[in-house]
Amino acid sequence: MDLTTFLQALITGILMAGIYALVGIGLTLIFGVVRIVNFAHGEFVMLGMYITFWLWKLWGLDPYLALLVTMPVMFCFGVLVQRFLLQPILRAPDLAQIFMTVGLGVILSNAALLGFTADFRSVKIAYAEWVWRLGGVSVPVTRLFAFLGALLLAGLLTLFLRKTDMGKALRAVAQDREVSMLLGVNPERMYLLAVGLGAALAGAAGGLIVPFFYVFPTVGAIFGLIAFVVVILGTLGSVEGAMLAALIVGVAESLGILFAGADLGLVVVFAILVVALVFRPSGLMGAR
Amino acid sequence: MRAALTPERYVPAGTLLFLLVLPFLLPNPFYVHIVVMMFTFVILGGAWNILSGYAGQLSLGHAAFFGTGAYVSMLLVNHYGTSPWITLWIGGFAALLLSLPVGFICFRLQGPYFTIATIGLAETLRLLVLHFREITNGAQGLTVPFKGNSPWQMQFDSKLPYYYIALVLAIAVLWITRCMEGVRLGHYLVAIGQNQEAAEALGINSAQAKRRALALSAFLTGVGGVFYAQYTYVIHPDSAFGLGHSIQIAMVAIMGGVGTVLGPALGAIIMEFFIQSTQIVFAGQYPGLELMVYGGLLVAVILWRPRGVFPWFDRLYRGLIARLPSPGRAA
Amino acid sequence: MTDNVVLTVEGLSKHFGGVQAVRDLSFQVRAGEILGVIGPNGSGKTTMFHLITGFHRPDHGTVTFLGLDITGLPSHEVCARGLCRTFQVARPFPDITVHRNVLMGALLRHPDPAEAALRAGQVIRRVGLEAHTETPAGSLTTIDQRRLEVARALATEPKLVLLDETMAGLNATEVGEAIKLIATLRDQGLTVVVVEHVMRAVMSLSDRIVVLDQGTKIAEGKPQEIAEDPRVIQAYLGKEYRRA
Repeated sequence: MDLTTFLQALITGILMAGIYALVGIGLTLIFGVVRIVNFAHGEFVMLGMYITFWLWKLWGLDPYLALLVTMPVMFCFGVLVQRFLLQPILRAPDLAQIFMTVGLGVILSNAALLGFTADFRSVKIAYAEWVWRLGGVSVPVTRLFAFLGALLLAGLLTLFLRKTDMGKALRAVAQDREVSMLLGVNPERMYLLAVGLGAALAGAAGGLIVPFFYVFPTVGAIFGLIAFVVVILGTLGSVEGAMLAALIVGVAESLGILFAGADLGLVVVFAILVVALVFRPSGLMGAR
Repeated sequence: MRAALTPERYVPAGTLLFLLVLPFLLPNPFYVHIVVMMFTFVILGGAWNILSGYAGQLSLGHAAFFGTGAYVSMLLVNHYGTSPWITLWIGGFAALLLSLPVGFICFRLQGPYFTIATIGLAETLRLLVLHFREITNGAQGLTVPFKGNSPWQMQFDSKLPYYYIALVLAIAVLWITRCMEGVRLGHYLVAIGQNQEAAEALGINSAQAKRRALALSAFLTGVGGVFYAQYTYVIHPDSAFGLGHSIQIAMVAIMGGVGTVLGPALGAIIMEFFIQSTQIVFAGQYPGLELMVYGGLLVAVILWRPRGVFPWFDRLYRGLIARLPSPGRAA
Repeated sequence: MTDNVVLTVEGLSKHFGGVQAVRDLSFQVRAGEILGVIGPNGSGKTTMFHLITGFHRPDHGTVTFLGLDITGLPSHEVCARGLCRTFQVARPFPDITVHRNVLMGALLRHPDPAEAALRAGQVIRRVGLEAHTETPAGSLTTIDQRRLEVARALATEPKLVLLDETMAGLNATEVGEAIKLIATLRDQGLTVVVVEHVMRAVMSLSDRIVVLDQGTKIAEGKPQEIAEDPRVIQAYLGKEYRRA
């Protein structure tokens, strides 16, 4: 195995890490603010993928342009989920919180199966085959766009969280609900915002990968699991941690596929998670 | 001295008697199959309940134990002709062995972290089983060739023997749960589920208690897997080790009532009844509908009856007991 | 004097992040006494409890209980050896009854649940909670939850019990009852270490007092000596004692 092959895998891993980061950030945002682990987060990605696909299929809308529709739609969806499903169980025991989103995930993936059939879908766009060659390494343009798109959105979110009043309010609620209330922040509104944003980011991630990833009802499962690894490795609630962890996971998966085989990429990822949990249970960013 | 003939005694006895003769009352073997599936859910859901219901350590990886039991059994039966009566124990034990590293890794974690870790481990096992296809036959799964009526190989022409095996296993799981409730471990698990730190402050070794509960839970789940493999003659990695299966196992106890002895039994009845009615009504025309309504049921239970149906059943049962005649009770 | 000592804390230190919560703390607890531990907020009292009972590992120092080194042992082992604690914020097992809560403690020495149930009943009577035996612990009032904390700890039949701010937020009558209960425990042979802010209680109950400030011991002695110790007065600026 030569250097080029290795670099190819490395680059693929890094590019994919952008998407993993986007999905992970959404999940960690929801947990950080609302304190609920969203077991349906993978299905949020799946929804984003299907919305993007159907917009293309029915109206020929370019997947990247479709983000302008996908994201607001997913945002509203997230808000509805928070309002009707999560709000009632905010103070319920673990069992209720975990299985509520587990149940939601089951509903969503099977609704997709019911509505769209199990067929694997893909979009056909002009630039799907374009490849950027860098030395011996070939970078499909769609993957590059996905990465750049993810980076852009992650950057915008970080700006939002740091610089805007609403973003700061969101962080305040994540840090300390009671104190933020004393400062005049309405936690319920922030919960809606957090889940809406988390869903929008997941949906965006889905939309960004449609040009090179098959769309099918259970595609969410993979992303859900990877999101968990990213978020736990990066410490639940930490956006920066999620980004760093996503990089590790993306590269590890890619190298794992290279060295261990295509079907064991995820196993490598889990192995990393296990090792991390055994030695540093609170994740890369330390105890909350 | 004769035992008192009180409703508390004769109602359960009557129920048992009813279950024993039920196969002869059912119109055709398909209905017997439905009840066998119910019993299977009782076994799996009841086993899950021991750890996750009582101690609140919510596992979504129990399919790993189920699959381990099933695969170990099938491999032994196919390669060495071992009798499934023996592999019941070996499969269960294999699952128990698996539970040791699982517990070691996962019990360091609390709440949703724990759940995620169990999902990850079950998924890893599934991928590994798919990968090593020389041993496991990969995605095609394993089958046991049907050898006709051979009791030593746990293969029968009719469904009846399976029915009674499943009944015995189901009762065993419920009875083990009841015994566990009455000894120290049972109480300790509840304490851990309520507040692990406070439990530790009272001298409860929570790591040890959880390991024991997990070992028992894994063993029984593995046994359930062996039985199921023998009953259906075929096992696939995706259905055996899949997350969907783990969710199903968990739902049995959640719907019925976690942390109670009869909860899994109630949940199994509801679950199977529900699966069958959707299949009958929609005749497989709408793939995904059944599971979708399933998920809806789970969400509904969480929103309105997080303790499952057990409290309602309990009230009903007590009301019934109070109203029934009690010829043996001292005045 | 040393054969009378049940607990020895020597050179205990612990830091969290950049904060030194406990610094070179040393003191002894004698059999059958009530030792009061006081100090301004943030002086490390609760951390000290955590270190002694195994909730955190100390960075340095040792804890010796009944002649055995228990430094760094996990909390369930510490309790099993006879050193039990209550929590500042009560942690009942909310969904189960008071009786079953206390049962959990009694099971330590009486593995048979039937036997443990009897003992639990006795302890419940001792602390005055019989009226609520079948009440779910989550619906108790604050003072009853405190009683429950004490009852659970007592059910483990400890030789030494650490009470962490049991009287915070109680009114005058309730404080009086708590004082009586703790004194009774001592009379029955238990050694008690009490962390408190309620000065009146600490002063009247304690045989001796240890004063902490910024993680270390600044004074030790009889209540009267402590009340007059200028270092103590300075640490508190005298406010707390005069208020009580």
